[in-house]
Amino acid sequence: MRVVIAEDNALLREGLILLLTSAGHEVLAAARAEPEILPALLEHRPDVAVLDVRMPPGFRDEGLRAALAARKQIPDLPVLVLSQYVEQSYAAELLGGGATGVGYLLKDRIARVDEFLDALQRVAAGGTALDPEVVTELMSRRRGTPLDSLTARENEVLHLMAEGRDNTTIAETLVITERSVSKHIGNVFLKLSLPPTDSGHRRVLAVLAYLNNS
Amino acid sequence: MTAAIRQAARASAQLAVAAGLAFFSILFITVLLITVVVTLVVVGAGLLPETVLLIRRMAGFKRSRVASWTGHEIPEAYLPLRGTIRERVRAAVRDTCTYADLRWMIAHYLYGFLGLLAVPLWPVGLVVDGARCGLLRRDAVVLPLISRLADLDAAWSVTLLKPPPKALLAERVTVLTETRTSAIAAHSAELRRIERDLHDGTQARLVALSMRIGLAKRAYERDPQAAQKLLDEAQDQAEEALTELRHVVRGIHPPILTDRGLVGAVRALAASSGLDVTVEFEGLADDGPRAPAAVEAAAYFVVAEALTNSAKHSGATRAEVRLTRLANGLRVRVGDEGRGGVVAAEQSVDVGAVGGSGLLGIRRRVAALDGTFVLTSPVGGPTVIEVELPCVW
Repeated sequence: MRVVIAEDNALLREGLILLLTSAGHEVLAAARAEPEILPALLEHRPDVAVLDVRMPPGFRDEGLRAALAARKQIPDLPVLVLSQYVEQSYAAELLGGGATGVGYLLKDRIARVDEFLDALQRVAAGGTALDPEVVTELMSRRRGTPLDSLTARENEVLHLMAEGRDNTTIAETLVITERSVSKHIGNVFLKLSLPPTDSGHRRVLAVLAYLNNS
Repeated sequence: MTAAIRQAARASAQLAVAAGLAFFSILFITVLLITVVVTLVVVGAGLLPETVLLIRRMAGFKRSRVASWTGHEIPEAYLPLRGTIRERVRAAVRDTCTYADLRWMIAHYLYGFLGLLAVPLWPVGLVVDGARCGLLRRDAVVLPLISRLADLDAAWSVTLLKPPPKALLAERVTVLTETRTSAIAAHSAELRRIERDLHDGTQARLVALSMRIGLAKRAYERDPQAAQKLLDEAQDQAEEALTELRHVVRGIHPPILTDRGLVGAVRALAASSGLDVTVEFEGLADDGPRAPAAVEAAAYFVVAEALTNSAKHSGATRAEVRLTRLANGLRVRVGDEGRGGVVAAEQSVDVGAVGGSGLLGIRRRVAALDGTFVLTSPVGGPTVIEVELPCVW
């Protein structure tokens, strides 16, 4: 894949380039500050952009704003946003309006190289990659909702679904068959009274919309 | 007429107390004179602070009487009398309020008997005003004079009992010294907490992680499988260390405050709370001027803690957050419609104690910034927390 990255920390930037190239991806540009991001994206039109939230000159949420701005100019540009900490409202902004091809992960996740590359792949293909910490926060904040009626297993399945994973990965992670994953998903949708949706991105959006609005 | 009589009766009661107090003044002045004389010959030094305290109590009583008549509080600005006898005597002598009280007491000894004028006014008033109101349908003129007398008494008392400007300044200095001491203590307690978190958490994890990598290196040749397992564990440790670091950072200064300012951060808090939260800002805007970082952080933690408490304990489904920019500070108000009965740790801010969680932690943070914290939470609700943080912005 052709990738543009934006990361101000030299160590992390070099590490990210090394990781991506060794996985067979091509890093077209590496922005070091906010003003470089948009021109790089417009020039290279990458398959996916990997952006750090906090960038010079302001060291606030430049990366996130750049991501949102870029998607206005290049609709459906897949963007994976990385951050030192996750904030639920940022996830909501990125996923607002049923956006596709969006990822929001803690920087720590890069260390799990295979999972990180898998998430990048998913985002590039128009899917979602949401950090488990965001999902945990989303799921823990409501009491006295239908979420309480889920079994522990169904909870795990819902969690992984919300992170944006497909049935195969969920089955592998939980060490169960894909058939039982489908069964659990059916139960979750039934208990949350969500209309049954085919697997894929729309399902993730339905689940996230539910968690956001319940 | 009835109203005039009722008003005159109220004024008479006020004047009667004043006359009573004036009578007591003689007693007090005598006691004080004796004390001063005895103090001069050292024997009675112990009595002086006690006498001053008695005078303060008497002045306090007069203040509350006048306040209930006029509806305006009269401020006090006494120096605290504490410590050894020597210190108490010195404070009693140095306090300009002691002399102000004394001046009032002597003056009051004279004007306090003003109230006695009400006695002849009553029969005259009843006859004259009775005739005016009953026969001529005109307003009462004599009975209201009694109220004027009480007004006069109140006005003189306000002038005489108001603390001298010097005393107000002295009191402000005392308060500032105290809050500064507690601010410094709160600050060092905070540093200790951060140090301990880093030392017990992150640092320990990094040591364990480094150890596992060392072991993995040793096992690398001999037992690759064991090495793999050790490396897996090392990665887990590294992730936990990062999680803990994030936690510590959040506790020092929430990153979202840096990113989005107080307005954005409070909106994020409201959105991520399990409650239906309405947020209002008065005089604050997303890109408007920002309060000092410490004030923003304190306000943020007040809102966070209040919303967490509401969500966990109140049983409410809705909450309200209002942030108001004041001329000289920031007001934070969080209310819910829950069952109330929240008990704040009422003990005065104990600066020595370490810890920053819960309402007590919030009180401490607020006190350290010279702010005020008011919690109202009657059983049955609603619960309202109102905090004011002074700052210039």
